[in-house]
Parts: sequence; C-alpha cells; structure tokens
Amino acid sequence: MKHLIGRRALVLVSLLLLLLGSVGGAGAQDPVTITWWTLASAESPEPAIRAVVEAFEAEHPNIKVDVTIMAESAYGDLMNTTIGAGEGAPDIAYFWETPWLPHTLDITDRLEADPDLSRDDYFEEYFNNWAVYNGRVVGLPFTVGANFVMYNKDVFDEAGVDYPTADWTPWEYIEIATALTDPDKRRWGGDRPRGPFRAIWRNIGATKPYSDDSATVEGYINGPDAVAAYTWLWDLVDSGATPTPADIEVLGTEGTGPVDLFIAGRLGMATLNNGHMITAANAGVNFGVVPEPHVPDNERFVHAWALRASIWAGTEHPDEAYEFLSFWAGPEGQRINMEIGALMPSLPAVLEDYPDAEADYFQGFMGVLNATQTAEWRATHPCWRGAVIRAVSDAWDLIMLGEIERDEVQATLDAMVEPGQAALDECVPRLGG
Amino acid sequence: MRTDAAAQLKRSNNWRRAKKLIGYAIVYAFMVCLACVFMLPIFWMASTSLKLPQDIFAWPPEWLPSTPQWDNYAEAFSKYPLARYMLNSAILVVANIIGALFSVPIIAYGFARFDFPFKNALFLLMLSTMMVPGHIKLIPLFWLYSRLDMIDTYWPLILPAYFGNPFFIFLMTQFIRTIPRELDDAARIDGAGAWGILYRVIIPLSRPALTVIVVFTFLWVWNDFLEPIIFLRDWDSYPISVGLAFFQGRYSVEWHLFMGATLVSIIPILVVYFFAQRHLIGGLASIGIKG
Repeated sequence: MKHLIGRRALVLVSLLLLLLGSVGGAGAQDPVTITWWTLASAESPEPAIRAVVEAFEAEHPNIKVDVTIMAESAYGDLMNTTIGAGEGAPDIAYFWETPWLPHTLDITDRLEADPDLSRDDYFEEYFNNWAVYNGRVVGLPFTVGANFVMYNKDVFDEAGVDYPTADWTPWEYIEIATALTDPDKRRWGGDRPRGPFRAIWRNIGATKPYSDDSATVEGYINGPDAVAAYTWLWDLVDSGATPTPADIEVLGTEGTGPVDLFIAGRLGMATLNNGHMITAANAGVNFGVVPEPHVPDNERFVHAWALRASIWAGTEHPDEAYEFLSFWAGPEGQRINMEIGALMPSLPAVLEDYPDAEADYFQGFMGVLNATQTAEWRATHPCWRGAVIRAVSDAWDLIMLGEIERDEVQATLDAMVEPGQAALDECVPRLGG
Repeated sequence: MRTDAAAQLKRSNNWRRAKKLIGYAIVYAFMVCLACVFMLPIFWMASTSLKLPQDIFAWPPEWLPSTPQWDNYAEAFSKYPLARYMLNSAILVVANIIGALFSVPIIAYGFARFDFPFKNALFLLMLSTMMVPGHIKLIPLFWLYSRLDMIDTYWPLILPAYFGNPFFIFLMTQFIRTIPRELDDAARIDGAGAWGILYRVIIPLSRPALTVIVVFTFLWVWNDFLEPIIFLRDWDSYPISVGLAFFQGRYSVEWHLFMGATLVSIIPILVVYFFAQRHLIGGLASIGIKG
C-alpha cells in the first residue's frame, strides 16, 4: 500500500514537473524585443513611426519593437558612439555613413529566401547603389531621394520666360537664369552646383575625375570634358545670375539646397530634392520640376540617394531583426509612412499610389528616378570623396570666388593633377577603389 | 564782486552739470544702440515665429508680419511634446543644481583650507580635466553607464554633478581663499568644527560664487544637447534642447515653428538671468578681481 502511494506520489510529482516544464517552455517563447533607432521627419513623422510598430507587432505577436525616435542632428553622434563602444547600437537603424557599413549584417541569403520580398521590388538603381556593399546586401533602400531643378512658375511668368523642358542644356540653364535675374528684387535666376563631378558634370561628359582602375587623374581631372564642365561653371558664376555661396549661407539653408530662397521667390530655379519639393508644395509655391540639364547624346545622370536601412552585425536577434527590417523597409512599412507622412517609397509599386502622383511636379520627379546615378561610380571609388576632392578643391574655389579668368581654367586644372594624383596614390591603399 | 564770483561759480556748476548730463546722454544712447543690436536676433526670432514660411526670406524683409501667424506656436507645441520637454529640462536643471551646490563647496573647501599630501598636484590634475574635450569622454562614458545599466535614464546626466565640476571647484576655491581665515579661527574658538565652519561661515559668505554656480549650471544643463542624445532613448524623456532639434529636418528647417519654440524655450533662461544678474555680475567680479 505504502509502495502504491509512493508510486502515485512519484507519478503526480512527475506530472507536476512536466506541467511546470511546459509552462517554462511557454516562458521561453516570450516576445523577443528588438531595438530600432529612427528619425522623425516630414517624410516619416512620429505618428507614422508608431503606426509601423503597431502594425508590425500586430502581425508578429512574438516580436516587440523598442523604438527610439531622435533628431537628425543627434543621429550621427549616437551611432558613432555606440558603434565605437562596440555595444549599445540598435538592432535596426539607418547605416548611411560608409564607415558604419562593415558593422552591418549581411542579409543576402535572408533576402533571397524571403518569399514576400525581393530586390526586384525596388528601383534597380537605388537597390544596387544603396543596399549593396562589396557584393553583399547590407540593407534595404528606404525611400528615394534625387536632385532635380525646381522652377518657380510665377517668376517665369513674370519674366515672360518659357518653362524649361527635360531636353535643356547647361548653357540654356545659364541663359534662362540670366533672363530671370532681377537685382532690384534681389532675385537670382538660378543657383550653382554644390560640387564638381555631380550630375551636370557627367551630363556634360566629365563622367569621372580619375580612371576606373584608380591609377591616374591625368586626362580626367584636366581632360577636355572636365575643362568644359569647369568652364561652364565659370560662365555661370560670371553671369551674376546666381547667389554666391556666402549669400546662400547667410540667407537660407545651405546644406542640401537653397530651398528657403526658392520658397521666398528669390530664386527662379534651384537644384533641390524631393524633400524640398514637399516643403515647397506645402508652402503653396507654384512650381515645376525638370531633370538637371544635359548635353544631347550624352547619357543623363542624376545625383540620387536612399536611406540605407540595415541590421547591426552585433544583433542578438538577427531573424527577428530581419522580420522587422523587411516590414519597415518593405511595401507595408513604406506605405504606412507614405500615407501618414510624406515618404516617397523606394518600391515603384507603392510609389505609384503617392497622394500627389498626378501633380505635374511629381511626374517631373518620377522622370529622374530611373536615370543612371552618380553614386554608381562613387560607391566603388571612396577615394573621390575621401581624399581627391579635397586635394583638387582649389580649382572649384577659385572659380566660385571669381579669382581666375576664363582662359585660365585649363591651366588651373592642370595644376590640380599633381595634388590630385598624390591624394589618389595615398588613398587607394587605404580605402580601396 | 562777490555776486560776480557767485554767478561765475553758478555758471561753472551749471556747465559742469550740463557736461555730465551730455556725457550720460551719450553713454546711454550708445548703450541703447548696443542693446538694440543685441536684441535684434531675439526680435528677428519673434518676427519669424509669426510669419508664413514663404515670407521668412522674402525681399524686402518684413520686420513685423502684416498678418501674424499666432497659430505657429500652437502648431509647434502640438507637433512635438515641447511642454513635456521643458519640464524634463527643468527636472535636470534642478537635480544638477542641487548636485553642484552639494559637491562643489565641499571639494573647494578642502582645496582652499586644508593641507594634505599632493594637494597642488591634485588641484592641477583636476584643472587639467577641463582641457580634455568632452567628445573624447563620450565613448568611455557610454561604455561605463551601459555597464551600470543607466542608459535611457537621467542618471548619466545628473550623477556627474554630485562629484564636482572642475571649473566650479576652481572658482569656488579661489573665492574661499579670499575669505579671511580669522573668521574660521573665530568660529573654531566658538566650538565649530570643519563642517560647522563650512556651513556656518564659508557658505553664507560665498553667495556670489554660489550664484555663479547656479546660473551657469542652469544655462549649461538647459542648453546641453550632446549628452542627452547619447544617453536618452525615450521619446518622452528628451529635454527641450533635443526637442528643438526635431524642427531641423533632413532637407529643410521649419524656421517659423523652430523660432516660436526656441523663443518660448529661452524664457526660463531670461527669467533666471534677470533675477540673478546682480549676484552674477558681483560674483564674477569678486572672483575675477580677488582670485
């Protein structure tokens, strides 16, 4: 009898332990929390960010997202600090700086195995230039950005000048800018490019500042096409139809383009981007959009970018992080941001539903999205931005300040060959290219 | 004869008084002009906060908007929880001021009144920490607070104040050195110990220096941007300095909202400065002259 009670007790205890074990097993399936750092902006405001989290968590009850929303000006410092410290970086964030790229998780295999998302869903140029690094997929392109020329229709109408069309040339740009300029109203017709070898340079034919094998700047930085492009800049500066860099610094937001002067009607045309486009539309400006001018028969380039949404290589939850990344930077997340904010998604199938998709300016913007990006070359040549551009900046500065004559452009560029070559030779072993 | 002399004296006095008045008028006119120059940015800020975006950089500039956009203020405060951010800043300011008033006098008192081995070397070592740029300390500090599980709390922004600030310690040490030691001796004869002397003699006489500490701590903590962005994560816990940065977007700045929010955010600083300026100027002067 005693044995029987003992056996029953043993069985009972075993069952109880089994039950507790199963409860413990359930506990092991508690939601995993992943951290996400992002920015609040007009394109992706705080309510849109919260809505993304809410929608994702509803679809994935086993994953919780701990979101940190920060200001643009705070982001770089925080990423540098946490990546530098080797801890504290978020599972998912924008990894837009090149030095951060080695700290991203390779998601090539995960994306290929994903039945719901493919690289073909994205604008090809944006995916290739902003999600791929050294042949591996390091993130997903979130939103699209591009430079184009915005023109103020009221200023054009007042000056009796025809609106520019997509087939215009850089020299027509100077003519139109000159015609729009009105010193009495402190109004300039156009603005100046923000650096050499961006879209206009390439549209003129100066496609690269040094050889593809990164061996020489001779014949590139001072080649005939580069001389033509720098001479075009000289003509633009000489026309007096543009504000000086000092004017723009004092009067408006210089960083990504003089949108403040454009909105105020003091610039007839300006090379701006789709973020500025939304700002101008919200301010009620009557404007149109055309691609940056180019030379007929030359390939058309666009200076474009995307925000690279990536997973930190140090994440403890790569699977869950990928689940969220593919939601946030996939069709669902970008659609939520487009509908609540003003995001322009990097997926053509979503972008075509943009609320202002029928507006003239939006159609103009769509026209530049499939052009070849200047980033295509730059992404594989980090030395251009890393070293060479600084070494040869004197030519740019001298022209911008009106310090040299037109016939001195060639000699000035020739003088840049030596410092440019030295910078390239020093940089290539360091950064590659 | 006597009448002439009196009249001459009177004329002379009148002329002297007139010269004095003219002198005052010139000085005051100059100071008013100078004040206007200094007030101009605040005026521009106020004017911009009431404009439409397209009017901000218009030419000719509109000093006073014809149709003030008062809604800009409501929009700025509804777009981001700025009132909450100002409260957070106030909490940080108060906690830091308490910390500074607690730690700085004790440390400074030690340096000013006691002799101990390596005192000068330690004082120099402390001063040398002022030469280290703040950015260099960020990664080690982040690592430290991360180990202490203090990230996303106010502790990293408050705790350092309770361990002294080298600049304030230097100021306070110099100030305490100007207080005659005879007062310490008198208190000691009356039975006061080291703590009694500190709290009954030194601190009451150090009000100008303490005011400097309070006002500077207020300004620094209220305006601090870098440390909050490094250590805080929660949307509702940001101070106002970080909240204002949200108006600066990736591509453009919402100047009209930014200026409105900034104008409101500087009101506490102006109020504190207004009430503390007499002590502040006196404190700085006494430290500067006698230190």
